[in-house]
Amino acid sequence: MIEAAAQLVVNAIALGAVYALVALGFVLVIGAVGAVNFGHGELVMLGGMVAVGAAALLPVDTALPGLVVLPAALAVMAIVGLAVAGIAYAPLRHAPPTSVFIAMIAVGLIIQHGVTAGIGPEPRLGPPLVDTGVLQVAGIGLSHQQLATIATAAVLILAVHALLQRSRFGRRLRAAAQDPEMARAIGIPVNLTIAVSFALSAALAGAAGLLLSNQYLVTPTDGGMLMLKAYVATVIGGWGRIWGAVLGAFAIAVFETLVAAWASFLVAEALLYLGVLVVLAIRPQGLFGEAAGRRA
Amino acid sequence: MRRLLPIILTSAALSVGAIANAAEPVAVSVLVPITGFLALEGIAQRNGAVLALDNPPPGVNVAYQVADTATSPEVAVTALQRALDREHPVAIAAPIFGTQMLAMAPIANRAGVPLVTVSGTATITELGHDVVFRFFPTDAVVKVAQARYAVQELGARKPAILYQTTAYGQSGHEHLVRTLKTLGVAPVLEEAIDPGIKDLVPALERARAAGADSLLLQLHSGPTALAVRQAHGLGLGLPIVAGSAMHQPTTAALAEPEQLKGVCAETASSPVSAASPEQAAFVETYRARFGSDPDAFALGQYDGMAMVLAAVADGARTPQAVRDWLASHRYSGVAMTYVSDGTGNMAHDAVIVCYDGMGRVPAVVKRYDAVDGVK
Repeated sequence: MIEAAAQLVVNAIALGAVYALVALGFVLVIGAVGAVNFGHGELVMLGGMVAVGAAALLPVDTALPGLVVLPAALAVMAIVGLAVAGIAYAPLRHAPPTSVFIAMIAVGLIIQHGVTAGIGPEPRLGPPLVDTGVLQVAGIGLSHQQLATIATAAVLILAVHALLQRSRFGRRLRAAAQDPEMARAIGIPVNLTIAVSFALSAALAGAAGLLLSNQYLVTPTDGGMLMLKAYVATVIGGWGRIWGAVLGAFAIAVFETLVAAWASFLVAEALLYLGVLVVLAIRPQGLFGEAAGRRA
Repeated sequence: MRRLLPIILTSAALSVGAIANAAEPVAVSVLVPITGFLALEGIAQRNGAVLALDNPPPGVNVAYQVADTATSPEVAVTALQRALDREHPVAIAAPIFGTQMLAMAPIANRAGVPLVTVSGTATITELGHDVVFRFFPTDAVVKVAQARYAVQELGARKPAILYQTTAYGQSGHEHLVRTLKTLGVAPVLEEAIDPGIKDLVPALERARAAGADSLLLQLHSGPTALAVRQAHGLGLGLPIVAGSAMHQPTTAALAEPEQLKGVCAETASSPVSAASPEQAAFVETYRARFGSDPDAFALGQYDGMAMVLAAVADGARTPQAVRDWLASHRYSGVAMTYVSDGTGNMAHDAVIVCYDGMGRVPAVVKRYDAVDGVK
């Protein structure tokens, strides 16, 4: 019994870590442009597919295949993020936020159908970050993949936190989000800052896609579900709040694993969304407040 | 699959298959979901239909068009109306998606054009539209086979059922429970799972805690693979009898052979298992044409369209004549023998396939013929 509970806790942490990466990328764009990227789930899915494709190019006996592929997934998805910014945001930056999020929905659909048309609709299995072994600790089976997922996600989240809080880019990003005109007036390259935030967001989506693709597979139609989780995490944690979104993501994972194991998936889902409604009613800015931007 | 990229991208565009023949061509429309959440099954449908239409019997000349019905009833109805107006088909390969079928059936019924499908939604043949012909066994057939195999062959007395919250999952769950009851068995756990759930360990742990002696799955392709992988990872050690998704080569490809050991599945057929020379030949032709392995949906749709062409070859050259022929004739297809039960249900047999842990091609271990009493 204790072993089973411990196993579920580890699962919740691993799943929450990946959802946190998804939510983190989602929040970055909200923070940068104040609009919701409704295509973010498809970017995660695309990242997973990029990882699957890149892994297929590796020799069969490559050690640490997922870690080898990770830089490629980050780089490719960063370029995709720049393209999304150029195609779906830049031409509409003076339009109402609704125009941006409709454009993002269109981008998401194009990605989803493009992947289906290009490589087929079937689910895919991504490469393991390290190997498929299991570490036995006090009767609990901790898969190497789970441990590596948690570690990789933690490193990426802390790196993004450091980038945003302690670097010039982070200060520029916050300034551009709070008052673009003033930021531009004092010499901050607002458009470049926004483009980089899209690239960073997509790169994180790529990492999340890679981490998901081995343990949980990746399917061209996964985007909508991932987008919903990111949105709910953001609503729980606070609009634009990095750590709020991360904690919101872990809350979702806790409901999907621990609460589901205690009751059932349906009860867990009902309780989760009941909780979201309570948050919206009592504290609409989210548990950790609203940093900047407006809801689209 | 990759070779079909131009077809997928230009799904609404004309593609014509024909043989050199003096006969006046008959038109057939292929309206299936090749994008969206049912694309896996829809593309299999499309491939099966195209394979049959590209190889009509001697004396039959066919022109066909393929259109994507995506995932909404509105798109499907628009595609149907356009096909009826422009192509005047004698028959239509219709979507596996039951919701789309329910929207299309009244329109096709008014036009008198038969819809040939592999959709499993029970109600499509229960609403009095006598133009719907289903070439895949309903849950009343395959779920009975699944439950019987678990109880009678594996000795299951305390099964746990994991099923999807979708219409597909709920229908299968209902039939499983009903059949188990007739066999004197009550499930110890019935867990509904949203398709977006990625970690199935909570349900598997609940099954273990409930004392389950077997797992019955009614999940889509990805969740089925996840359940099998995660059950193996937990060392659950329970026999698994899955729904038809598990027989699909694309699902088996997501698990290692050792993870598949002892896993069984119900299905109408398993072409890659090559249970007959005809099925082996079908697989070879399919692979050569599409570069992938066929599943039971592809074969069911192939057989359905082959029966339509057999009707045309027999002189049925109008939609009404084709409909009447389908309703009144017995047809020996590659997967099984098809005959209408009076409402358009043409398939009445099921098989159980199992993986031996050595590879990803299952073997047919049990046949259940005329499960619904139709012979």
